[in-house]
Amino acid sequence: MIRRAMGMISCDEAMRRLWEFLDAELGPEEEAEVQRHLEVCEKCYPQYDFQRAYFRFMHRVAEGERATPAFRRRLFRRLLEAQSAEEDRNE
Amino acid sequence: MSRTELWAQVRMAWSVLSGQVAHEVHPGRERIEVAPAPDLGPEAGGAIAAEGFAEEALPWLDAVHAFTLRLTGGDRDAAEDLVQDTFVRALRFWHTFERGTHVRSWLFTICRNTFLHGRDSARSRREKPLADMDPRAEALVGIRSLGRPAPDPEEEFFSRLIHDEVVDAIDALPPDFRDVLVLSDLGDLNYAEIATVLEIPVGTVKSRLFRARRQLQERLREFAVREGYADVPEEA
Repeated sequence: MIRRAMGMISCDEAMRRLWEFLDAELGPEEEAEVQRHLEVCEKCYPQYDFQRAYFRFMHRVAEGERATPAFRRRLFRRLLEAQSAEEDRNE
Repeated sequence: MSRTELWAQVRMAWSVLSGQVAHEVHPGRERIEVAPAPDLGPEAGGAIAAEGFAEEALPWLDAVHAFTLRLTGGDRDAAEDLVQDTFVRALRFWHTFERGTHVRSWLFTICRNTFLHGRDSARSRREKPLADMDPRAEALVGIRSLGRPAPDPEEEFFSRLIHDEVVDAIDALPPDFRDVLVLSDLGDLNYAEIATVLEIPVGTVKSRLFRARRQLQERLREFAVREGYADVPEEA
Protein backbone atom coordinates (compact mmCIF):
# COMPACT_ATOMS: atom_id res chain seq x y z
CA MET A 1 0.00 0.00 0.00
CA ILE A 2 1.43 3.30 -1.05
CA ARG A 3 0.29 6.52 0.53
CA ARG A 4 0.44 9.85 -1.25
CA ALA A 5 3.99 10.89 -0.57
CA MET A 6 6.89 12.24 -2.52
CA GLY A 7 4.64 12.87 -5.50
CA MET A 8 3.47 9.26 -5.58
CA ILE A 9 -0.10 8.63 -6.74
CA SER A 10 -2.44 6.59 -4.54
CA CYS A 11 -3.33 2.94 -5.09
CA ASP A 12 -6.84 3.94 -6.11
CA GLU A 13 -5.48 6.34 -8.68
CA ALA A 14 -3.00 3.77 -10.01
CA MET A 15 -5.71 1.14 -10.38
CA ARG A 16 -8.07 3.64 -11.97
CA ARG A 17 -5.49 4.28 -14.67
CA LEU A 18 -4.23 0.70 -14.98
CA TRP A 19 -6.01 -0.33 -18.17
CA GLU A 20 -5.20 2.94 -19.90
CA PHE A 21 -1.60 2.43 -18.81
CA LEU A 22 -1.53 -1.07 -20.30
CA ASP A 23 -3.30 0.17 -23.43
CA ALA A 24 -0.61 2.87 -23.85
CA GLU A 25 -3.32 5.53 -23.80
CA LEU A 26 -1.91 7.74 -21.04
CA GLY A 27 0.18 10.84 -21.55
CA PRO A 28 3.90 10.58 -20.66
CA GLU A 29 3.49 12.19 -17.26
CA GLU A 30 0.53 10.08 -16.15
CA GLU A 31 2.22 6.98 -17.50
CA ALA A 32 5.37 7.69 -15.51
CA GLU A 33 3.31 8.18 -12.35
CA VAL A 34 1.64 4.80 -12.74
CA GLN A 35 4.97 3.18 -13.61
CA ARG A 36 6.63 4.60 -10.48
CA HIS A 37 3.72 3.43 -8.35
CA LEU A 38 3.75 -0.10 -9.71
CA GLU A 39 7.49 -0.41 -9.21
CA VAL A 40 7.16 -0.06 -5.44
CA CYS A 41 3.60 -1.14 -4.55
CA GLU A 42 3.21 -4.76 -3.47
CA LYS A 43 -0.56 -4.43 -3.40
CA CYS A 44 -1.01 -3.14 -6.94
CA TYR A 45 1.71 -5.07 -8.74
CA PRO A 46 -0.16 -8.41 -8.69
CA GLN A 47 -3.15 -6.72 -10.31
CA TYR A 48 -0.84 -5.31 -12.98
CA ASP A 49 0.70 -8.74 -13.48
CA PHE A 50 -2.73 -10.34 -13.77
CA GLN A 51 -3.83 -7.88 -16.43
CA ARG A 52 -0.62 -8.42 -18.39
CA ALA A 53 -1.31 -12.14 -18.29
CA TYR A 54 -4.80 -11.36 -19.57
CA PHE A 55 -3.38 -9.50 -22.58
CA ARG A 56 -0.88 -12.27 -23.34
CA PHE A 57 -3.74 -14.71 -23.14
CA MET A 58 -5.93 -12.67 -25.49
CA HIS A 59 -3.08 -12.57 -27.99
CA ARG A 60 -3.04 -16.35 -27.94
CA VAL A 61 -6.81 -16.39 -28.43
CA ALA A 62 -6.37 -14.05 -31.42
CA GLU A 63 -3.78 -16.42 -32.87
CA GLY A 64 -6.38 -19.17 -32.71
CA GLU A 65 -8.67 -16.96 -34.79
CA ARG A 66 -6.21 -16.52 -37.65
CA ALA A 67 -7.34 -17.11 -41.19
CA THR A 68 -6.53 -20.57 -42.50
CA PRO A 69 -4.05 -21.10 -45.37
CA ALA A 70 -6.89 -22.36 -47.58
CA PHE A 71 -8.87 -19.21 -46.94
CA ARG A 72 -5.83 -17.02 -47.59
CA ARG A 73 -5.49 -18.65 -51.00
CA ARG A 74 -9.18 -18.13 -51.73
CA LEU A 75 -9.00 -14.51 -50.68
CA PHE A 76 -5.96 -13.86 -52.83
CA ARG A 77 -7.70 -15.37 -55.87
CA ARG A 78 -10.85 -13.39 -55.12
CA LEU A 79 -8.89 -10.14 -54.95
CA LEU A 80 -7.25 -10.85 -58.28
CA GLU A 81 -10.66 -11.61 -59.81
CA ALA A 82 -12.09 -8.40 -58.40
CA GLN A 83 -9.11 -6.51 -59.76
CA SER A 84 -9.55 -7.90 -63.28
CA ALA A 85 -13.30 -7.23 -63.17
CA GLU A 86 -12.57 -3.64 -62.21
CA GLU A 87 -10.01 -3.30 -65.00
CA ASP A 88 -12.55 -4.68 -67.50
CA ARG A 89 -15.11 -2.16 -66.33
CA ASN A 90 -12.66 0.68 -66.76
CA GLU A 91 -11.67 -0.29 -70.29
CA MET B 1 5.12 -1.02 -63.00
CA SER B 2 8.48 -2.62 -63.69
CA ARG B 3 9.06 -6.37 -63.53
CA THR B 4 11.06 -5.93 -60.32
CA GLU B 5 8.29 -3.92 -58.71
CA LEU B 6 5.75 -6.44 -59.87
CA TRP B 7 7.63 -9.29 -58.23
CA ALA B 8 8.10 -7.27 -55.08
CA GLN B 9 4.32 -6.86 -54.97
CA VAL B 10 3.78 -10.57 -55.52
CA ARG B 11 6.24 -11.49 -52.81
CA MET B 12 4.74 -9.01 -50.38
CA ALA B 13 1.18 -10.07 -51.10
CA TRP B 14 2.10 -13.69 -50.73
CA SER B 15 4.07 -13.29 -47.56
CA VAL B 16 1.21 -11.34 -46.02
CA LEU B 17 -1.44 -13.76 -47.15
CA SER B 18 0.58 -16.71 -45.94
CA GLY B 19 0.94 -15.13 -42.52
CA GLN B 20 4.68 -14.55 -42.75
CA VAL B 21 4.42 -10.83 -42.08
CA ALA B 22 3.03 -9.83 -38.73
CA HIS B 23 1.42 -6.46 -38.25
CA GLU B 24 2.61 -4.09 -35.58
CA VAL B 25 1.57 -4.94 -32.07
CA HIS B 26 0.10 -2.51 -29.63
CA PRO B 27 3.02 -0.68 -28.03
CA GLY B 28 1.68 -1.06 -24.52
CA ARG B 29 1.57 -4.81 -24.64
CA GLU B 30 4.11 -7.50 -25.10
CA ARG B 31 4.58 -9.01 -28.48
CA ILE B 32 3.57 -12.63 -28.73
CA GLU B 33 5.53 -14.83 -31.05
CA VAL B 34 3.33 -16.32 -33.71
CA ALA B 35 3.58 -19.88 -34.95
CA PRO B 36 5.58 -20.41 -38.16
CA ALA B 37 3.51 -19.75 -41.24
CA PRO B 38 2.50 -22.79 -43.28
CA ASP B 39 4.27 -23.31 -46.58
CA LEU B 40 1.63 -22.55 -49.16
CA GLY B 41 3.78 -22.94 -52.24
CA PRO B 42 4.21 -20.51 -55.11
CA GLU B 43 0.59 -20.21 -56.13
CA ALA B 44 0.38 -16.43 -56.39
CA GLY B 45 0.02 -16.32 -60.15
CA GLY B 46 -0.62 -12.59 -60.22
CA ALA B 47 -0.19 -9.36 -58.37
CA ILE B 48 -2.42 -6.88 -56.67
CA ALA B 49 -1.74 -3.75 -58.63
CA ALA B 50 -3.27 -1.19 -56.27
CA GLU B 51 -0.27 0.65 -54.91
CA GLY B 52 0.35 -0.01 -51.23
CA PHE B 53 -2.64 -2.31 -50.79
CA ALA B 54 -0.59 -5.46 -50.24
CA GLU B 55 1.77 -3.77 -47.79
CA GLU B 56 -0.73 -1.69 -45.85
CA ALA B 57 -4.11 -3.41 -45.97
CA LEU B 58 -3.38 -7.12 -46.15
CA PRO B 59 -1.34 -7.29 -42.92
CA TRP B 60 -4.62 -6.73 -41.08
CA LEU B 61 -6.19 -9.87 -42.50
CA ASP B 62 -5.91 -11.89 -39.29
CA ALA B 63 -7.18 -9.07 -37.11
CA VAL B 64 -10.17 -8.52 -39.38
CA HIS B 65 -10.76 -12.26 -39.50
CA ALA B 66 -10.81 -12.46 -35.69
CA PHE B 67 -13.29 -9.59 -35.60
CA THR B 68 -15.60 -11.20 -38.16
CA LEU B 69 -15.59 -14.48 -36.26
CA ARG B 70 -16.98 -12.73 -33.24
CA LEU B 71 -19.39 -10.58 -35.24
CA THR B 72 -20.82 -13.71 -36.78
CA GLY B 73 -20.92 -15.62 -33.51
CA GLY B 74 -18.22 -18.04 -34.64
CA ASP B 75 -19.74 -18.96 -38.00
CA ARG B 76 -16.53 -19.55 -39.96
CA ASP B 77 -18.14 -19.57 -43.40
CA ALA B 78 -19.98 -16.34 -42.71
CA ALA B 79 -16.83 -14.83 -41.23
CA GLU B 80 -14.75 -15.72 -44.29
CA ASP B 81 -17.42 -14.33 -46.61
CA LEU B 82 -17.37 -11.13 -44.60
CA VAL B 83 -13.57 -10.91 -44.75
CA GLN B 84 -13.67 -11.40 -48.51
CA ASP B 85 -16.33 -8.74 -48.95
CA THR B 86 -14.35 -6.39 -46.74
CA PHE B 87 -11.08 -6.74 -48.64
CA VAL B 88 -12.72 -6.73 -52.07
CA ARG B 89 -14.49 -3.52 -51.15
CA ALA B 90 -11.31 -2.07 -49.68
CA LEU B 91 -9.43 -2.90 -52.89
CA ARG B 92 -12.15 -1.32 -54.98
CA PHE B 93 -12.10 1.89 -52.99
CA TRP B 94 -8.37 1.88 -52.22
CA HIS B 95 -7.88 4.92 -54.46
CA THR B 96 -10.16 6.91 -52.14
CA PHE B 97 -8.25 5.93 -49.00
CA GLU B 98 -6.25 8.82 -47.67
CA ARG B 99 -2.70 7.52 -47.38
CA GLY B 100 -1.03 8.11 -44.08
CA THR B 101 -4.24 7.72 -42.09
CA HIS B 102 -5.14 4.63 -40.12
CA VAL B 103 -5.72 1.83 -42.56
CA ARG B 104 -6.79 -0.64 -39.91
CA SER B 105 -9.65 1.51 -38.61
CA TRP B 106 -10.69 2.09 -42.22
CA LEU B 107 -10.75 -1.68 -42.82
CA PHE B 108 -12.64 -2.40 -39.60
CA THR B 109 -15.16 0.29 -40.49
CA ILE B 110 -15.75 -1.28 -43.91
CA CYS B 111 -16.03 -4.67 -42.23
CA ARG B 112 -18.54 -3.58 -39.63
CA ASN B 113 -20.65 -1.63 -42.12
CA THR B 114 -20.67 -4.58 -44.49
CA PHE B 115 -21.76 -6.83 -41.64
CA LEU B 116 -24.51 -4.48 -40.51
CA HIS B 117 -25.75 -4.01 -44.06
CA GLY B 118 -25.74 -7.78 -44.66
CA ARG B 119 -27.48 -8.45 -41.38
CA ASP B 120 -30.19 -5.90 -42.09
CA SER B 121 -30.72 -7.39 -45.55
CA ALA B 122 -30.87 -10.90 -44.11
CA ARG B 123 -33.31 -9.78 -41.48
CA SER B 124 -35.64 -8.23 -43.99
CA ARG B 125 -35.46 -11.36 -46.15
CA ARG B 126 -36.06 -13.81 -43.35
CA GLU B 127 -38.24 -11.55 -41.24
CA LYS B 128 -36.80 -13.00 -38.12
CA PRO B 129 -34.09 -11.76 -35.76
CA LEU B 130 -30.52 -12.94 -36.04
CA ALA B 131 -30.76 -14.37 -32.54
CA ASP B 132 -33.14 -17.05 -33.83
CA MET B 133 -30.47 -18.45 -36.07
CA ASP B 134 -27.79 -20.85 -34.93
CA PRO B 135 -24.79 -18.55 -34.96
CA ARG B 136 -22.39 -20.56 -32.86
CA ALA B 137 -22.83 -24.00 -34.33
CA GLU B 138 -19.30 -24.07 -35.67
CA ALA B 139 -17.71 -21.69 -33.22
CA LEU B 140 -15.43 -24.33 -31.83
CA VAL B 141 -14.26 -25.92 -35.05
CA GLY B 142 -10.52 -26.25 -35.25
CA ILE B 143 -9.79 -24.71 -31.92
CA ARG B 144 -6.95 -25.93 -29.81
CA SER B 145 -6.16 -26.07 -26.18
CA LEU B 146 -4.11 -23.21 -24.90
CA GLY B 147 -2.64 -25.21 -22.07
CA ARG B 148 1.09 -24.82 -21.59
CA PRO B 149 3.50 -24.66 -18.70
CA ALA B 150 2.60 -21.76 -16.48
CA PRO B 151 5.45 -19.76 -14.96
CA ASP B 152 3.44 -17.89 -12.35
CA PRO B 153 0.01 -17.86 -10.67
CA GLU B 154 -1.39 -15.20 -12.98
CA GLU B 155 -0.27 -17.09 -16.05
CA GLU B 156 -1.58 -20.29 -14.48
CA PHE B 157 -5.06 -18.82 -14.13
CA PHE B 158 -5.32 -18.06 -17.83
CA SER B 159 -3.35 -21.01 -19.10
CA ARG B 160 -5.89 -23.43 -17.66
CA LEU B 161 -8.70 -21.89 -19.62
CA ILE B 162 -9.19 -23.15 -23.12
CA HIS B 163 -10.15 -21.39 -26.24
CA ASP B 164 -13.81 -22.41 -26.40
CA GLU B 165 -14.51 -21.21 -22.88
CA VAL B 166 -13.11 -17.82 -23.74
CA VAL B 167 -14.87 -17.64 -27.08
CA ASP B 168 -18.16 -18.49 -25.38
CA ALA B 169 -17.54 -15.87 -22.72
CA ILE B 170 -16.76 -13.22 -25.35
CA ASP B 171 -19.82 -14.14 -27.40
CA ALA B 172 -21.97 -13.92 -24.28
CA LEU B 173 -21.07 -10.26 -23.74
CA PRO B 174 -23.64 -7.66 -24.80
CA PRO B 175 -22.86 -6.81 -28.47
CA ASP B 176 -21.83 -3.21 -27.71
CA PHE B 177 -19.31 -4.43 -25.15
CA ARG B 178 -18.18 -7.38 -27.24
CA ASP B 179 -17.38 -5.23 -30.29
CA VAL B 180 -15.21 -2.83 -28.28
CA LEU B 181 -13.39 -5.65 -26.51
CA VAL B 182 -12.73 -7.62 -29.68
CA LEU B 183 -11.47 -4.56 -31.55
CA SER B 184 -9.16 -3.70 -28.67
CA ASP B 185 -7.98 -6.97 -27.21
CA LEU B 186 -8.06 -9.19 -30.29
CA GLY B 187 -7.70 -6.52 -32.97
CA ASP B 188 -5.17 -4.26 -31.21
CA LEU B 189 -6.97 -1.06 -32.19
CA ASN B 190 -6.46 1.94 -29.94
CA TYR B 191 -9.30 3.91 -28.36
CA ALA B 192 -9.45 6.55 -31.10
CA GLU B 193 -9.52 3.92 -33.83
CA ILE B 194 -12.30 2.01 -32.10
CA ALA B 195 -14.26 5.25 -31.73
CA THR B 196 -13.92 5.80 -35.48
CA VAL B 197 -15.00 2.28 -36.38
CA LEU B 198 -18.00 2.19 -34.05
CA GLU B 199 -18.86 5.88 -34.45
CA ILE B 200 -18.97 6.52 -30.72
CA PRO B 201 -17.05 8.95 -28.48
CA VAL B 202 -13.68 7.88 -27.06
CA GLY B 203 -15.11 8.18 -23.55
CA THR B 204 -17.77 5.64 -24.44
CA VAL B 205 -15.09 3.34 -25.86
CA LYS B 206 -13.24 3.45 -22.55
CA SER B 207 -16.27 2.85 -20.36
CA ARG B 208 -17.53 0.00 -22.53
CA LEU B 209 -14.09 -1.57 -22.81
CA PHE B 210 -13.42 -1.51 -19.08
CA ARG B 211 -16.84 -2.91 -18.28
CA ALA B 212 -16.45 -5.56 -20.97
CA ARG B 213 -13.08 -6.64 -19.57
CA ARG B 214 -14.48 -6.79 -16.07
CA GLN B 215 -17.42 -8.90 -17.24
CA LEU B 216 -15.23 -11.18 -19.30
CA GLN B 217 -12.69 -11.68 -16.54
CA GLU B 218 -15.46 -12.26 -14.03
CA ARG B 219 -16.97 -14.98 -16.24
CA LEU B 220 -13.61 -16.62 -16.78
CA ARG B 221 -12.90 -16.46 -13.08
CA GLU B 222 -16.27 -18.05 -12.26
CA PHE B 223 -15.56 -20.79 -14.74
CA ALA B 224 -12.05 -21.37 -13.42
CA VAL B 225 -13.26 -21.59 -9.83
CA ARG B 226 -16.18 -23.84 -10.78
CA GLU B 227 -13.90 -26.22 -12.63
CA GLY B 228 -11.32 -26.18 -9.88
CA TYR B 229 -8.72 -24.40 -12.00
CA ALA B 230 -8.43 -21.52 -9.63
CA ASP B 231 -9.30 -20.39 -6.17
CA VAL B 232 -9.86 -16.69 -6.57
CA PRO B 233 -12.63 -15.60 -4.24
CA GLU B 234 -12.02 -11.90 -4.66
CA GLU B 235 -11.06 -9.71 -7.55
CA ALA B 236 -7.62 -10.77 -8.71
